[in-house]
Amino acid sequence: MKEKHGGEVAVISLGGEEAARVLRSSLAMGADRAIHLLDPKFKDSDEFASAAALAKAIEKDGGADLLLAGVQSDDLGSGTTGTMMAEFLGWAHATVVVGVQVQPDTKSLQVQRELEGGINETVELTLPAVLTIQFGINQPRYASLRGIMAAKKKEFKVWSAADLGLADNAVGRAGAAYDVKEILVPERKSRVEVISGTPEEAAAKLVEKLRKEAKVI
Amino acid sequence: MIFVVAEHKDNKLRPITSELLVFGQRVARDFGEPITAVILGSSTGDLAGELKTRKIDRVLRAEHAGLAEYNPDTYVQVLQSILNKDKPFLVLMGHTTQGMDFAPRLAVRLCGPLISGCVEYEKQGERLILTRQIFNAKMNMKTLVRGEPPYFATASPGAFPGDEVESGGNAEVIVFPVQLTGTPKRKILNRVEAPKGQTDLSSAPIIVSGGRGLKQKENFNLIFELAEAIGGSVGASRPVVDAEWLPREYQVGSSGQTVSPRLYIAVGISGAIQHLVGMQTSRCIVAINKDPEAPIFKVAHYGIVDDLFKVVPALTKIFKDLRQA
Repeated sequence: MKEKHGGEVAVISLGGEEAARVLRSSLAMGADRAIHLLDPKFKDSDEFASAAALAKAIEKDGGADLLLAGVQSDDLGSGTTGTMMAEFLGWAHATVVVGVQVQPDTKSLQVQRELEGGINETVELTLPAVLTIQFGINQPRYASLRGIMAAKKKEFKVWSAADLGLADNAVGRAGAAYDVKEILVPERKSRVEVISGTPEEAAAKLVEKLRKEAKVI
Repeated sequence: MIFVVAEHKDNKLRPITSELLVFGQRVARDFGEPITAVILGSSTGDLAGELKTRKIDRVLRAEHAGLAEYNPDTYVQVLQSILNKDKPFLVLMGHTTQGMDFAPRLAVRLCGPLISGCVEYEKQGERLILTRQIFNAKMNMKTLVRGEPPYFATASPGAFPGDEVESGGNAEVIVFPVQLTGTPKRKILNRVEAPKGQTDLSSAPIIVSGGRGLKQKENFNLIFELAEAIGGSVGASRPVVDAEWLPREYQVGSSGQTVSPRLYIAVGISGAIQHLVGMQTSRCIVAINKDPEAPIFKVAHYGIVDDLFKVVPALTKIFKDLRQA
């Protein structure tokens, strides 16, 4: 988008050293500058508190035209942070985005959303807007050696909760909207009949059962 | 008051709506809260009539020409005015592309906790415990909501049994006066169905599906060979499509095709809930996976816990021999 329409790409993340690594590698891949929200007080933040802090940082930074987030994370996968940021910022948003076309004349975007059952929806959004991007929309670029070297000279802001003017009770565990009570391996209420034996024996037993018992082949 | 936000499409209630009602009825039983089903749209009379027969207390019809199509701006605006007029305890929405598009905005606007993708619920003392899946359904996280209600939750499709919804109610149907202000920031331009190509799996009697357990694209030949030997079609889980081993039209699951064949063989598929909702109504499900803890075994009828690279060729050979016999 920058190559086509100009502008600047900033990357922002809230977290510890792992977030800093992601920001540095984003700079090496071509982003112009980075903002790292780093503070022990951010620890154990939930989606609500994280989205509030990130939105605050974007406002402090002077706003943006477009904010890109993922649909959901690999770990907690709640799928809420990006959309919550849109609400905190008061911007338009679209989730599960698989295609984006910028319309510079009208300061708007056309985006394709992926809905259930293989349906794609095209919507128009006024800018500024938040998009949550579906996995696989683009191929990430490799960070070249030159990119890695150049990244070291790029602007890298580090902001704490105090820098954002956030009170202690608005960040981290204190600012979260829920508590994690327990994390556990789910119980399986299973009806499965496990077929044992060597692979050949198990395969033969399975075919027998599919023919005689389930009668599906 | 427990609010269930009904989801509908083409003048039909979507399956998630019954699942949300079951979720709501369970919470209502334990907490003694009444249930209101909310339906937003431009012509909701028939659907409100259907909701009314469920064992709930009230149906709210928010009807307006501007609600003909789903839009997060109008949905949040209307739901906010509905919830502000009442004492909401819990607001239930679908963990669907629609529910997840507006639930986070609604929760932030009303400053309440949102637990997304709930699969279970329990009451402990006077507190509400909502369980959600994390790490791609490998682990469960039990959460305790904080502060005063309203609390917000989205339910994973397939997690609550929609066919157990209790009927026999005669809920009051109330038309909620809708006033829409401002211009929505989102405009819906069109909806198109992705081409199904040669792989319309919805009517296939036998499907052999492969997952990430196949390790690389070339190994998918094992799936094609087994499918051919057994006379079935080929399907895939989302990671296979994301890795571009196969085109998207092969994908089975919530963002792909929903299938219900006579026989579904899942090979090297761990069974994320998004996959399970797309195939769990199959008449006979076979899972082949070396991880005995894989969630796919929860829905399977027959399982082989072993190396797929040994089991699948053995199966293919038996079916080939059977065909020649």
